[in-house]
Amino acid sequence: MGLKGRVCSRTILLCLLIAWTHGIALGEQKFRIGYADPLTGTFGRDGNLVKDAYNFWAELVNAKGGIEVKGKKYPVELTVIDDKSTAAENARFTEKLITEDKVDLILGGFGSDSVFAGSAVAEKYKYPLVSGAASSDKLFARGFKYYFSTLGKATEEVRGCVDIVQILSPKPKTGAIIGSDILFTSLAAEGYRKYAAQNGIEILHFELFPITLQDYNSMLVKVKQKNPDVLFVGSHLMVAMKTIKGMKEIDFTPKMVTFSYGPTVPDFIKSLGKDAEYVVGASEWAPNLPYRDPLFGTARQFNENYFKKYGRNPDYVEAASAAGAYAIQVAIEKLGITPPVKEEDRVRIMEELHRQSLTTFYGVVKFGAGGANEAHPPVAVQVQNGKLVNVYPKEVAEAAPWYPMKPWKKR
Amino acid sequence: MLLFLQSLINGILLGGIYASYSAGFSLIFGVMGVINIFHGEMVMLGAFLTYWIFTLFHIDPFLTVPLSFFSLFIFGYLVQRFVINRVVEAPPMNSYILTFGIHLIVAYTALWIWTADFRTVTTSYSGMNANMGGIVIPYARLATFVLALIVVAGVYFLLYRTEIGRAIQATAQDKEIARLMGVNIRQIYAITFGVGAAITGIAGSLISTYFIIFPQMGLSYTIIAFCVVVLGGMGYIPGALYGGLILGVVQSLTATYLNAGLSGALTFILLFIMLVLRPAGILGKGIVE
Repeated sequence: MGLKGRVCSRTILLCLLIAWTHGIALGEQKFRIGYADPLTGTFGRDGNLVKDAYNFWAELVNAKGGIEVKGKKYPVELTVIDDKSTAAENARFTEKLITEDKVDLILGGFGSDSVFAGSAVAEKYKYPLVSGAASSDKLFARGFKYYFSTLGKATEEVRGCVDIVQILSPKPKTGAIIGSDILFTSLAAEGYRKYAAQNGIEILHFELFPITLQDYNSMLVKVKQKNPDVLFVGSHLMVAMKTIKGMKEIDFTPKMVTFSYGPTVPDFIKSLGKDAEYVVGASEWAPNLPYRDPLFGTARQFNENYFKKYGRNPDYVEAASAAGAYAIQVAIEKLGITPPVKEEDRVRIMEELHRQSLTTFYGVVKFGAGGANEAHPPVAVQVQNGKLVNVYPKEVAEAAPWYPMKPWKKR
Repeated sequence: MLLFLQSLINGILLGGIYASYSAGFSLIFGVMGVINIFHGEMVMLGAFLTYWIFTLFHIDPFLTVPLSFFSLFIFGYLVQRFVINRVVEAPPMNSYILTFGIHLIVAYTALWIWTADFRTVTTSYSGMNANMGGIVIPYARLATFVLALIVVAGVYFLLYRTEIGRAIQATAQDKEIARLMGVNIRQIYAITFGVGAAITGIAGSLISTYFIIFPQMGLSYTIIAFCVVVLGGMGYIPGALYGGLILGVVQSLTATYLNAGLSGALTFILLFIMLVLRPAGILGKGIVE
């Protein structure tokens, strides 16, 4: 091939390439949605749950052809960036998604610290951000207009875990509260304190510790010596697992132990086996709740389909994340917004989310002025015979709570 | 009083755990002068080896110890023989960068293969303990403490009572003279690294029964090992035991009587004081360059 031939073939190739890329841009309009989420590091496991939930939603939407706007369907394309469990990285990557990747919309990742940072960037660029895995009270006290959460406030999330004492006999009188010192878990600890006071439980010990603490035994020994009826723990998955391991090693069995987060993650029961029995955890969703929506079906169907896809039941944070993505989808459909989404469209989506009162498989999603979901009852679950069952409140209870906890040596 | 004794025992057992995975760090530094940043990854590999053998074949974690020892020996030997030996005689910065790179490679490969899930080995006897007059002693930690003593004694025996140990010592003291005496320096380095990795791997195996393991757990173990070895004396093997015990007891008493949050801060204050006042460790037998 001569020089002329080579130039000719390169020109044709270039034209083909341009035509191809334009073909994608013109022929296949999609909603490009991005989010920064911890896929590695301390919250790597939890962040992957959120990723699974968003993928589940996107695949379901795309299986139906996409989000339907004015009779035409637009598929969803998700982009996730790993923030390595670092809040500053979450902010950086959220900004990258908005300014460099120019995504149409963004979603929230896992964890209050990360979402706290990421949502500040979203607010600056007027991108509505719905999160299903961050609930620290501070998130809602910033006067932000673009931040929403399908979870309630962290302090309120643990209410079920304390109010459950009302149905226990004999009613516990004393408690100890420990929690790791990061945003969500320290607020959960504050929530325990508030609801314990309301329930007349005397708090004998209150302590926050670094999430990086390697050994819990010496701290738990101190709690054990005070002999509380209930141990309330402000936790993430790892903190919850370490606490159970430590309690068993130092032979500490209060009458009840509760965690703000951890027991609902499937790894908790899988890893701890029989040691997970009797453990009580906070939850905001349960598959037996009587809710439904046109996309996911009933709460039970969501649970079953999730199991079919991932071989495990969803955690409540996954249900909340999927419901958050669905809330945005419904807003887009109602407003008739098509991709590429412009700034004024995002302002309209934000306004619609504030107006919305949406019934989903997860429950009613109704965002308050600060962005927290106000229409959500906290549930307490307990591990019984290797399964999570709702034990409180009575309306959703599947079984009576096992109480008091059986001493380790008698199991 | 009972609380004090319980906290003290907890601290001593925690010290045993620290010593068990720090002895290898000290050995490697003592002989080669390499501060091994992927030390914690060797703890992780030992722990995951035990986890998988237990999960897939239901083999008791304690029975996996020999396999952990040999697997990590081979890993350590090969890494030193073919990678670190290339920079071992270059300025220390080269080995920092190289071992940091290996830390990233191992941690992220493990993450890719095993995902970020938190795991732990839960056996029928997990968390079991002896109650002696109100003082609770968890068996698995006691076993690790005993192991730490055996490891330190074993390395000591290897260094002072065997032919290869004398070659290792000669290399550590003056590698040029050792080379002139016919010692194959690179081989000695590889064997030393292998032994360091092997004893670290078995510590990892035992740790998997009472700590939570995940692919990115390594760095925090490397940091603790560094603190332990500075306290006990860099390169002085029994120092790992002293350093581990000091750190374990200080952390435990702090968590019990002050606040668990202060135990981490005190660790680094202790490290700072030691580096300024006694850089050769508590007994002054470490290497100071």
